[in-house]
Amino acid sequence: MSISVKLDRVLLDRGMSLTELSERVGVTIANLSILKTGKAKAIRFSTLEAICKELDCQPGDILFFDDDGKTTAD
Amino acid sequence: MRAIGKGSLSSILAVGLHVTRVILWIMLGLVTLALIILPFAPAIADLFSHSDGINIDGVVDAEDFIKVSYAFVTTAVMLFVVNRLLEILKALRFGSPFVKENADRFRGIGYALLMGEGAKFAFGFLSLIFDADVELNMTFLAWLAIITVFVLAEVFREGARMKEEQDLTV
Repeated sequence: MSISVKLDRVLLDRGMSLTELSERVGVTIANLSILKTGKAKAIRFSTLEAICKELDCQPGDILFFDDDGKTTAD
Repeated sequence: MRAIGKGSLSSILAVGLHVTRVILWIMLGLVTLALIILPFAPAIADLFSHSDGINIDGVVDAEDFIKVSYAFVTTAVMLFVVNRLLEILKALRFGSPFVKENADRFRGIGYALLMGEGAKFAFGFLSLIFDADVELNMTFLAWLAIITVFVLAEVFREGARMKEEQDLTV
């Protein structure tokens, strides 16, 4: 898929664990892991909103359009 | 009526299909045995005809081979279909009917039915030549059933894709 997820990098910047984010946004660790590992096929606006709110970031900080296997925003 | 669990339609169907499978296995065994024995029938008949009071006509025609071969193919196709249906019901009982495997199973059933109809035509033509008792007719309902199964296979394929997408939506 051309869309890549950089949730691990944002989590690292904020010094937050996946478990903590899971508790804050109310999404299971299993689902967040799916998102983090790039296996997710879709993300709900409500989930994206909750993540951005808790991590104090923009959707563009988490999601990247990765054309030809190269990340455009790095 | 519940879709799964005790007393559900799927469990009743599963029992019926299990019984059918046993009957079909027995039938397939008998037909296979007949197919193996048939070439030796004249010799066997000759052996028995020496006994007192027994007079068996041991002549084996092409007609007999056609009939037994047709019975073998039909039974094998039915057994294949029953097995696939049982696997589909098993997946339903486990709560995941919309999987790619079920779409493949439905497609397999479709191909098996298609093969069965093809065999019916082939044996029907052979019966015209050798005067066997296999009917050569086209059943509209059978072809409609084959098309229905292929449509179902595609519906299940799309269902499996949608289920996967739903499972991977965060």
